[in-house]
Amino acid sequence: MQNDLIIISEYCTKSHIEPSFISLLEDDGLIEITEIEDKRYIPVTQLSDLERYARLYYDLSINIAGLDAIHHLLKRMEHLQHEVRILQNELRFYRDIE
Amino acid sequence: MAYIDYYKILGVDKNATQDDIKKAFRKLARKYHPDLNPNDPTAKDKFQKINEANEVLSDPEKRKKYDEYGENWKHADEFEAQKKAYQQNGGGAHWYSASGNGFNEGDFSQFGGGFHSGNTSGFSDFFEELFGGAGRKARGEAGFKGQDYNAELQLSLREAAQTHKQILNVNGKNVRITVPAGVANGQIIKLKGYGAPGMNGGPAGDLYITFFIPDDNTFKRKGDDLYVTAQLNLYTAVLGGEETVDTLNGKVKLKVRPETQNGTKVRLKGKGFPVYKQEGQFGDLIVTYSIQVPTGLTEKQKELFRELQKS
Repeated sequence: MQNDLIIISEYCTKSHIEPSFISLLEDDGLIEITEIEDKRYIPVTQLSDLERYARLYYDLSINIAGLDAIHHLLKRMEHLQHEVRILQNELRFYRDIE
Repeated sequence: MAYIDYYKILGVDKNATQDDIKKAFRKLARKYHPDLNPNDPTAKDKFQKINEANEVLSDPEKRKKYDEYGENWKHADEFEAQKKAYQQNGGGAHWYSASGNGFNEGDFSQFGGGFHSGNTSGFSDFFEELFGGAGRKARGEAGFKGQDYNAELQLSLREAAQTHKQILNVNGKNVRITVPAGVANGQIIKLKGYGAPGMNGGPAGDLYITFFIPDDNTFKRKGDDLYVTAQLNLYTAVLGGEETVDTLNGKVKLKVRPETQNGTKVRLKGKGFPVYKQEGQFGDLIVTYSIQVPTGLTEKQKELFRELQKS
């Protein structure tokens, strides 16, 4: 299990992120933190989301509510693109049949 | 290496105030931020250019140097040295402007190119030449993620039906990947960390592979189901019998019911395409019978059909 978790303090040091930023994300439910024996960890599966939040927060000064909204919109966009791809393949199928 | 017009990149004029520059940068950064443009491979490059332009124009010192030497970046150091010497010697002669000194386009044109990703700092060679490595502001924030790479991989339908290994050449580096069975045409898979190295301690970029699966001559694919057309002779269609049909794993024998109609579909469960990342699960194979009317009948055969018609 330890392999799937990253110690937050170490992550913050290495990636030059303030621990308070992680707390802000946690408070708003954007990421989930695991606590084991007084140490705080973030699951590896959430790392790509965390990295994206950090880039948007620091590069574009987007606040936490904005990050949440962007996250949902990107997920939605991803889903729609998936749908488009399926529909394009189906369209190709029917074109071939004709 | 060519001159980069930072004013043009930010869409401001040379007299723009710091406030104008800040506004222009924010607007463009939000428009082109790579995280907001996940499917635009050019977004990262655009964003880096915008970032670099802002780095220079938002800093009064850098902006002054850029305005003075920008187009003649190659000789900035020489100018600085001469300027200093003139000032130290009392400088009787007037200082000439960098833009009227006889250096012409030919001095720069041989370098060509301009902004490219070969520089791992994330800044163009032009920037590095003019301001040096120390010219960059220390970012107190997260490091820059390396550039994402995009690659396209063409697979035949049969290749896509099997988990197999492929070696891709990405920027001169061989990357061995495992392609899971069941990938779809147009599907993009991300290989984390296979992009360009990160900057300022940031993580490496990712490699995005788009699969292109051209049409197969035998099978048509719809999701996880495969479609195949089987030619059925008229006699088998009328009287029933057996027909051999192609599947992805070889041929299968099907029982044909008597009086099978043209266009009849038969579904073979589990004989379709493998379901992506669901080992052991397959779609169905749908066989459509296309009944072939015999041609080149002898007079006797035609007579038999006439008899059939009358009966």
